Amino acid sequence: MRDARTVTRSVEALRDVLGADTVLMGDGTAAYRLGGNQPAAVVRPADEADVSRVLAVAFRDGLGVVPWGGGAHQCLGRLPSRYDVALDLCRLNRVVAYEPADMTATVQAGIRLADLQQRLGASGQFWPLDPPLADRATVGGIVAAGLAGPLRCRYGTVRDLVLGVRVAHADGTLTTAGSRVVKNATAYDLTKLYAGSYGTLGVLLEVTLRLQPQPVEERGWCLAGATIEQCHAAALRILGSHLAPNRLELLDTACAERCGISAGASAVVSFAGGREAVRDQGDSLGSVAEERGLRVTEIENPDRVWRALQDFPWPVGDAGRSGAVVAWRGSVLPSDGGKAMQGVRDAASGCGEVAVAGTASHGVLRGTLRASTADLAARGVSALRAALAALGGFLVVTDAPEALRASLDVWGPMPPEVTWMRQIRSAFDAKAILNPGRFIDAI
Amino acid sequence: MTPATQRRLAEEFRAILGDDAVISSPDERRVYECDALTTHHRAMPDLVVLPGSTDQVAAVVRRCAAEDIPIVPRGAGTGLSGGAIPVRGGVLIVLTRMNRVLDVDVANRTATVEAGCVNLDINRAVMPRGFFFAPDPASQQASTIGGNVAENAGGPHCLKYGATTNHVLGARVVLPDGEIAAFGNRLADRPGYDLIGVFVGSEGTLGICTEVTVRLLPLPQAVKTILAVFRTIEDASNAVSAIIARGIVPVALEMIDQETTRAVEAYAKAGYPLDARAVLLIELEGLNAEIATEAVEVETACRAHACLDLKVAGTEAERTLLWKGRKSAAGAFGRMTRNYYHQDAVVPRTKLAAVLREIAAIGEQYGVRVPNVFHAGDGNIHPLLCYDARVPGEFERAMAAGDEIMRCCIRAGGTVSGEHGIGIEKRDYLRLMYTEEDLGAMRRIQQVLDPRGRCNPGKIFPDAQHAEGGA
Repeated sequence: MRDARTVTRSVEALRDVLGADTVLMGDGTAAYRLGGNQPAAVVRPADEADVSRVLAVAFRDGLGVVPWGGGAHQCLGRLPSRYDVALDLCRLNRVVAYEPADMTATVQAGIRLADLQQRLGASGQFWPLDPPLADRATVGGIVAAGLAGPLRCRYGTVRDLVLGVRVAHADGTLTTAGSRVVKNATAYDLTKLYAGSYGTLGVLLEVTLRLQPQPVEERGWCLAGATIEQCHAAALRILGSHLAPNRLELLDTACAERCGISAGASAVVSFAGGREAVRDQGDSLGSVAEERGLRVTEIENPDRVWRALQDFPWPVGDAGRSGAVVAWRGSVLPSDGGKAMQGVRDAASGCGEVAVAGTASHGVLRGTLRASTADLAARGVSALRAALAALGGFLVVTDAPEALRASLDVWGPMPPEVTWMRQIRSAFDAKAILNPGRFIDAI
Repeated sequence: MTPATQRRLAEEFRAILGDDAVISSPDERRVYECDALTTHHRAMPDLVVLPGSTDQVAAVVRRCAAEDIPIVPRGAGTGLSGGAIPVRGGVLIVLTRMNRVLDVDVANRTATVEAGCVNLDINRAVMPRGFFFAPDPASQQASTIGGNVAENAGGPHCLKYGATTNHVLGARVVLPDGEIAAFGNRLADRPGYDLIGVFVGSEGTLGICTEVTVRLLPLPQAVKTILAVFRTIEDASNAVSAIIARGIVPVALEMIDQETTRAVEAYAKAGYPLDARAVLLIELEGLNAEIATEAVEVETACRAHACLDLKVAGTEAERTLLWKGRKSAAGAFGRMTRNYYHQDAVVPRTKLAAVLREIAAIGEQYGVRVPNVFHAGDGNIHPLLCYDARVPGEFERAMAAGDEIMRCCIRAGGTVSGEHGIGIEKRDYLRLMYTEEDLGAMRRIQQVLDPRGRCNPGKIFPDAQHAEGGA
């Protein structure tokens, strides 16, 4: 039975076992507030045995545990329905094994992506994922939330780039899934299940990553036109050709401006690899652009543009005291990407303003909705969701002011497979202590 | 299954599926007592059905659920780990009649096909439109996409493109209780658990997929195929590491040892040298400018490791010939040995030379020849244990050597299957890789989707074999 006294007793017991350096109570927990809830304790385990002990106690006593990486993406999902312990993995930040010639690395989940990339870069390699807020985000958080960025166009997503994981389950049991080699067909591939599961099936401790060589060169171009649909048509043309962009993003005017591109609705494309290959591909953009009546220019300060595009829709900015900004992501078939981007802009009219970017290869959209009141923002979310649903797609809220987040339908309608998802959740975490209420269907 | 039940079910299935879609006579059923794994165990299905639609599959599965009878899905029967062997009897559901390409969507680069569609037939349907389906298991002329999904099949081109799991977006699945479900679909980043990710590679134990939606890739601008010849396997292995370490990711990087090249040359005449201990078949794919640069890098890496000769296919005909040699390897096995056991394991690429040395030593110790033709670029080895079943003791020695090889791969930090799956062949080895808790986590998925353990029972899990009768 979980009540305030049990919670206090549990975390005090944990502090006695793990020490006051590992288990913080009181003031130390303020930075871990979520939606007005402050956890009774923040635990910073030094190793996986600590994690196991914390979870065993939490499971026994039914404490709500929120796994915490860099804290960069705690805005995702619904607010946890029970929140007693923040399990901060910042001390689990080592590179466990890295053999450059194998093009794989095994790292602890709490390593920050920026630190990892720096380490890999020294050997001319990188983990080809560029999620938003990469300076703060940790590998564990990125995998748990299934985050990706524009580079997915060429390299895929977490499910393609993680080979194996070590996991602490709700009751403290530690398991391994997948392997440390690049190819594996041994029993169920649970790594896929953990990726994008928001920590509801276990806390990631270690992740084995598939790496790529850093390209020698990278250049970017902007194809600008009157409408987003024109840009979309050009993007589809590129994707169906032999050209191999590593980014191909569609930007509406508002998003383009935020990213430092003042050409209006644009398709932004980058090629990476050997010099000649990059040049040849850049050259061939001319005819694609001309066919669609677009202007093509090379981007002069590509790193800044990539950075802004990677982080978009963050920072979401401010809409004044009474207003609200909601960040969202959505998905449609790639062929409907242009229509969807125009559709959400139209749907927002009367509620607020939209800025939107789309990854052309995957039909994935992300954007902001700025409204002058919280009510209008909520209505806007419904309108945007309906616009994407009309195309067979969906919309998920990824950031919102806390009061609004508590009342919004963050995830939208449930997929039909939710029946099995519910059962899987309870098979892995019978008491629903990990990120309770946060994921779809509040599981 | 009692003869009476068998007769009754056969009648019922004939009513649902038609007379020609139900096989009940022992002689005809015997064809289905094993797949391409012939060394371990054979078992006759009680009945064989060949449904023509998802609804028919579901109808059969519902009947079996009501009677608590095991169901075993089967595609072309080319699996090498025994996944389609009905070790507990029951009804074998053969999907080869469901072989249509349902949809090719060029704008979204996807195709939807029935589970019995042959791998190569997907490419026949999409290549004229400028696209291809990347997974290319050696069996691709015969194996079905449903089987590829079940085993998470690989192939030479996995090195750059990944295995089946990286190319499957969704599947229509008949669950063990007969319910029809959709796992995954063409929308990216759908909220919820990645059920299709778990389903791929689950070896038919979580349900029977009847339709699969796959990702297509645009055909590359250019392809370059290189044959590099080495004095020793060690040199060839080191060249593999050197190529990867230079940041080159070929689409394929295959090693063929001397015994295999000699057997292959005898009839494929691919132009492989007979006096070299190993050759590498290296394929680059991409833009003209890109592969030109990469070819230079590959050559430099090979030369740095005492490459004796390097041949670049100048024409499509030459390229096809070089690949003919590689693809004929499986056919050549029959010339190399009376019987063989074809293994599958993965080791870290940097351990390749050391592991191959150890495998040679194991072969010597047990007096078993172990030729090897394999996907060197991702460390995926395929030792071929040769024996003559007529000579007492040879089979046992080959199996014992095989066992040592698996243990050696695990010690090197590898895995016991890269692309053939576990089936009944590798059940015991899972414990070398995974703890009881690790396996317990997998079992939870099975308990959700197949709580009664009726769907392809006896597969994958090491504790699954105790309930079986004798071979």
